[in-house]
Amino acid sequence: MNKELTHLRVNGEEREIAITPNRLLLDALREDLGLTGSKRGCDDSSCGCCAVLIDGTPMLSCVALAASYEGREITTVEGLGGPGELDPVQEGYAEMGGAQCGYCTPGFMIATKALLDRNPDPTMDEIREALSGNLCRCTGYMQIYESVKYAIEKLRAKSATQAPATR
Amino acid sequence: MTLPAFRVLQPRTVEDAVRMLDEHRSDAMVIAGGTDVIPNLQMRLFTPRVLVDVKPLRELAVIEFSARQGLHIGATATLTHILETPWMRDKFAVLASAIGTVAGPLQRNMGTIGGNLCLETRCRWYNQSHFWRQSLGGCLKKDGDICHVAPGGKFCWAAWSGDSAPAFLALDAELEIASLSGTRRVPLREFYKNDGMDRIALARNELLTAVHVPAHMAGRRGVYQKLRVRDSIDYPLAGVAVAMEVDSAGICKDARVALSAVNPAPMLVTQAGESLIGRKWSLELAERVAHAAIQTGKPLTTSGSTPVYRRDMVRVFTRRALEETWKNGHGSA
Ligand SMILES: Cc1cc2nc3c(=O)[nH]c(=O)nc-3n(C[C@H](O)[C@H](O)[C@H](O)COP(=O)(O)OP(=O)(O)OC[C@H]3O[C@@H](n4cnc5c(N)ncnc54)[C@H](O)[C@@H]3O)c2cc1C
Ligand code: FES
Ligand code: FES
Repeated sequence: MNKELTHLRVNGEEREIAITPNRLLLDALREDLGLTGSKRGCDDSSCGCCAVLIDGTPMLSCVALAASYEGREITTVEGLGGPGELDPVQEGYAEMGGAQCGYCTPGFMIATKALLDRNPDPTMDEIREALSGNLCRCTGYMQIYESVKYAIEKLRAKSATQAPATR
Repeated sequence: MTLPAFRVLQPRTVEDAVRMLDEHRSDAMVIAGGTDVIPNLQMRLFTPRVLVDVKPLRELAVIEFSARQGLHIGATATLTHILETPWMRDKFAVLASAIGTVAGPLQRNMGTIGGNLCLETRCRWYNQSHFWRQSLGGCLKKDGDICHVAPGGKFCWAAWSGDSAPAFLALDAELEIASLSGTRRVPLREFYKNDGMDRIALARNELLTAVHVPAHMAGRRGVYQKLRVRDSIDYPLAGVAVAMEVDSAGICKDARVALSAVNPAPMLVTQAGESLIGRKWSLELAERVAHAAIQTGKPLTTSGSTPVYRRDMVRVFTRRALEETWKNGHGSA
């Protein structure tokens, strides 16, 4: 199979890689771009560990052919937060024990980020629904929900202090 | 697991797409969201040389309703897009109910309605890695000549495992199919062949472009009940869709009941309508229709759950779905 030059926009940067047409986005991210945050947690696209944002929507990079996502805005867990600064979502998982072995965590963070970007004040049912495509073998999910609530509070506090400045 | 080698073609229009399919015929396969195709390719269930990627065809992503034309959903509309269409739940309750149970939210963000209606049939002896299948010498559907579900038989029982098809059957939907020679319309109930090996009446050079529901179906009460191991992500082990029209006196004017995951095709329970029309709710009547449903659903050992349990759940779910829609008015606009 011939490799083709493919342009991916990942975490705000234009990246050029030479890949075969059957290259999955997950493998392109991990192996061609060295972004090993996204994980492969299953063989049948059922676990959510590989979730990334595509134009803001969480999707499974293990069913996406990389070349089909040229021109789209791809955000991996590495793209959350800024240099030297954690996103409130990441802070939540760190503070509230939302990560144990950590394998599922990038996928959960991506799903959480997508939820809070659209709906900064979700109900418990909405949180459960938004995270229902991600599996975790360690935490029993309760700490994960606590992490999401922590992030919600953090974001609320942040927007309260920022509001006067933008007026 | 890795993917076999293939080329990916990116059509710009429907015409392009059908030309590509026509040119490559049995070497080609359509890919939309890829949530069914990619895991199956990883398991080497098929090895097409060419994938025709229809996902970017925006002209096929349209969702529309009009009182004259009814409901139109283009084949590449994602399941999430359908669920988030504000009027969907009020107008087509059974459809929103069914689509909301497909896989998990991440698969629904990628999966399309076209892919859902053309899903591969599933079986515990088929949806396995190449290595696993090889150790058993394959099966009728792939690389072998025996059926592990019904040994000695020459028929493939792999189960229809999509959730939207029974809802669309309950809404008497029609499909729009394009090829080089133009477009044709086919009633959904004629699309499924009830053969695990050869599941749908779609030629290799044809593309599903849209699904239509007649306007008079808008506003029907309805619900979909689904059996699965976990309440998210899992494929159905059994599914029952009910759509009905009930007048102000509580009398059933029209009703359709359809099943999923218990036959190689999604199926209408044909006796349901005549038993229900003109009648008022009673538990006894619901039980009678539930009994008819288990004459239609014939689950076999295609999944991890036992046929006896799945069959019994078809009965329970049919009764419950009728109770919810008719007695409790669930899904009424
Ligand atoms: C873990 C997991 C769980 C799942 N659970 C469920 C479930 O509970 N219920 C359920 O219904 N599905 C389930 N699915 C399957 C799938 O996610 C959905 O059915 C989805 O809607 C398929 O759409 P797609 O666009 O991804 O299809 P694809 O994978 O792109 O295609 C599926 C099939 O349809 C054909 N096809 C697609 N579009 C067209 C077209 N326009 N014309 C002709 N042929 C076409 C393809 O060639 C292929 O054979 C699950 C998948 C996974 C990975
Ligand atoms: S790796 Fe498990 S869903 Fe993608
Ligand atoms: S923290 Fe280990 S799988 Fe979730």
